[in-house]
Amino acid sequence: MKLDNWILFASTFVVLFTALYAALIYKRLTKDLRFFLWFVFLSGIIQLISLILWFSSTNNMPLLHFYVAVGFIFLALFYGDILQGFIKRKLILGIIILFSLFTIINSSFIQSIFTYNSYALTVECILIIILSISTYMFSLEDLVQEKRQGLWKSIKWINAGLLIYYTSSLIIFNFAHLFFSDQSFKIYSRDFNLQTWMLHSFFSTVMYICFFIGLWNRPKA
Amino acid sequence: MEQTQGINFLTTLFPLAMVMFVIALGVILLNQHFRKNLYQQKLEQEEIKNQHQQELLRSAIAAQEQERQRIANDLHDELGAMLSMARMQILQFQKKENNTTNTENLLELIETSLASTRRICYQLMPPQIERYGLVASLQSLKANVNSTNETSASFTYPSDFPRFSNAMELGVYRIVSELVNNTLKHAKAKQLMITLILTDSELICSYSDNGVGLTDAAEGSGLGLKSMRARVEALQGIFVISEQGTGFNCAIKIPFQKIS
Repeated sequence: MKLDNWILFASTFVVLFTALYAALIYKRLTKDLRFFLWFVFLSGIIQLISLILWFSSTNNMPLLHFYVAVGFIFLALFYGDILQGFIKRKLILGIIILFSLFTIINSSFIQSIFTYNSYALTVECILIIILSISTYMFSLEDLVQEKRQGLWKSIKWINAGLLIYYTSSLIIFNFAHLFFSDQSFKIYSRDFNLQTWMLHSFFSTVMYICFFIGLWNRPKA
Repeated sequence: MEQTQGINFLTTLFPLAMVMFVIALGVILLNQHFRKNLYQQKLEQEEIKNQHQQELLRSAIAAQEQERQRIANDLHDELGAMLSMARMQILQFQKKENNTTNTENLLELIETSLASTRRICYQLMPPQIERYGLVASLQSLKANVNSTNETSASFTYPSDFPRFSNAMELGVYRIVSELVNNTLKHAKAKQLMITLILTDSELICSYSDNGVGLTDAAEGSGLGLKSMRARVEALQGIFVISEQGTGFNCAIKIPFQKIS
């Protein structure tokens, strides 16, 4: 099997494996990680359905529109939970409402649900990068660590995974949008397109490996 | 040659730079919001820590007073009683034998031991404080100072001075008695003044003497001063040492806790 196929296979397998592991430890996990687990479950389900649709040669883009909106809500709530007391809940809820409105408007009027929703994805990436960098900075404060004692080992891995994936995605989306829209870059072939998605899959794999390590390092009762 | 065509700044780098700028701005704004909340959280934590420390201090002082009470009771009831019995038996022996020469020294020793026991008991827990209150105890303290004939003490207080909680009366008494003790031991003062003033919400006890005053070294390292400050803090009051001319001047302000 070629390296490309290996990466594609690994990226699918790692999502499903992490989702399965999350389901197994769901009841034993602290409440602060519940929204993150829902995000992992959502990723697992979306991955499975999109795979089925891909095999049946059906456009699976509507799934991506749904995944971007709901996935962001879960991640924002997860950050809201772990930074409770330091970031006002209202601020997180405000960001969620504004982003949800934006994705609805984008999917309804700007980018059809059957096309690639690059705008919503870019905004999602920016917001998650802001939240993850800020969380990393906040975690340097002793008081923040004291509040979530034992949980920071998990949070650090999860946060690192999110930061790696969303930063790489932002760059890939930015360049992908450029390469596919700008006629001066028509030299880039279908192979290049595939390579870009391989790179995306690789970072996705890295993110889910970080998630798995984070869940593995959860505070044990 | 077309393959090496430069990347257009407006279409490639500008959006990327804008994205970077938005991310940096977002992080800065969120960080500012976080710092504000962190400061509040730290203040709350300090407040909780202070409350906890005050509770600890109060319970330590309460435990100390309880232990003093227990020791005073034990000394009075057991040692005092035994010494009294020994005294009685010696007196009986003297009557029976009609001989006082051999037992006179022994009797004197026992009398001195009894007096010492009473004095220690009094110092450990003044009997008036619980029964007659702060004013009576301070009057007794004043009488004791005046009986030394070295320092003259004066004590003024409002005529309608009410009773307060036992912890407060005992606390103020201990502080004043420590101040008097310091004056007698170190100040070489001729006069000392104790004044109790009552406002709507505070009991103010001002103390002054005309001695040598407080040296910087004594202020920094004195265990007595530390213990007085701790007692005042436990009563949620303020302890202020003022420099007014010569001698030592201080005031203790304690929030009012009047017993109905």
